[in-house]
Amino acid sequence: MRRLVALLGLVWSLANLGVAYFFLTSAFVAKTAAKEGILAQLSLLLGGVLIAGFAVLLARECLRMLTSAAASEPA
Amino acid sequence: MRIVTWLLVVVGLVLVGVGVAAAIGQASSGAQPWGNELSDNFTFVKALPFVLGFGVAVGLLMARTYGAKVRSDGAVRRWSPGTVFGHWVLTLGFVLALPTGMWQYLGGILDVNLPIPLYLFYRVHYIGASIVLFAVAAFVSYLSMTGDRSLLVPRGEWGRHLLGLAYELPPSLRGRYAKLLRIDLRQPRPPAGKFTFYEKVVEFPSWSIVLALITITGLIKAGRYVVPVPGFVLWLASTLHVAAMVIIVIKLLDHLRYTFPRWSLMGAITTTWMKERAPAVGHGAGERGSSAAGIAGGGDT
Repeated sequence: MRRLVALLGLVWSLANLGVAYFFLTSAFVAKTAAKEGILAQLSLLLGGVLIAGFAVLLARECLRMLTSAAASEPA
Repeated sequence: MRIVTWLLVVVGLVLVGVGVAAAIGQASSGAQPWGNELSDNFTFVKALPFVLGFGVAVGLLMARTYGAKVRSDGAVRRWSPGTVFGHWVLTLGFVLALPTGMWQYLGGILDVNLPIPLYLFYRVHYIGASIVLFAVAAFVSYLSMTGDRSLLVPRGEWGRHLLGLAYELPPSLRGRYAKLLRIDLRQPRPPAGKFTFYEKVVEFPSWSIVLALITITGLIKAGRYVVPVPGFVLWLASTLHVAAMVIIVIKLLDHLRYTFPRWSLMGAITTTWMKERAPAVGHGAGERGSSAAGIAGGGDT
């Protein structure tokens, strides 16, 4: 069960890293500046950094769960 | 009393069915010149009072499951079955509403369209939002009926809780956190009660605030189809709705990061029971929570 949860968590964190990528890249394109303004750009930048940071922390926990589950299995 | 509660739930369910069917029937009758998206907007906003009312009725039923219990093997009930039900309903709502809401926002920012029509994203988003609103109404009703405040920091206890939180933080953050909030780390670590200090100081307050924010702003956005909403209020509600969505995305990652390694928490939110000394981290880091006996001191939540 732990392994399945860890795998799902890993998928979720990867999907969130994808979201963070779009947030971060959108913060720096001229189209966002023209359409949304500097505040939206800063929000996208901050949101992207935070999402990426927490997604990495979750991925790290999931990988730990996977490796500890593998280590506890009998050889 | 139990039979009355069940009757209210059944009546609520019937009313939701009738209300939603009437709204859908009206929107799809062709009497109005509405497109798919506008029809869904009207269906959603007309269904909301029924959904919220049904949530209140189910909250009354959830409250019937409240109460402290200890099993013969020493395990204690950490969450009531009502809370566990509400938690998973809320999860289902987020699973539907978050990705679709995120796509509505990102699609606009990136200026791209998927081969799937946009109104379908909105439709799924509204279904998810209805489930979230149902769960929020149920929890408000549940908490008001049970009077449970065990996840709140009691008055005059903030100092002890902030100190306790310091000891639950990783050592690399502890010093900076203590310095920022002027916490004296020479004081002994206070014992955690039924919940960890992180749950009481960070998790529950932040979830409550962000859920209230996304609920109120969402209701204002939906309400514009039945009552006039000034442009500035609508703009503010839309901006805060997106901000709340992003905060929920971050909160969800943090919530999973926190609970996964404390596997007993995962067990408790599935079975309601917590057996081991809880909630210990499964690997490394030395956080320890309250004993089962300590948990048994209060009611479940």
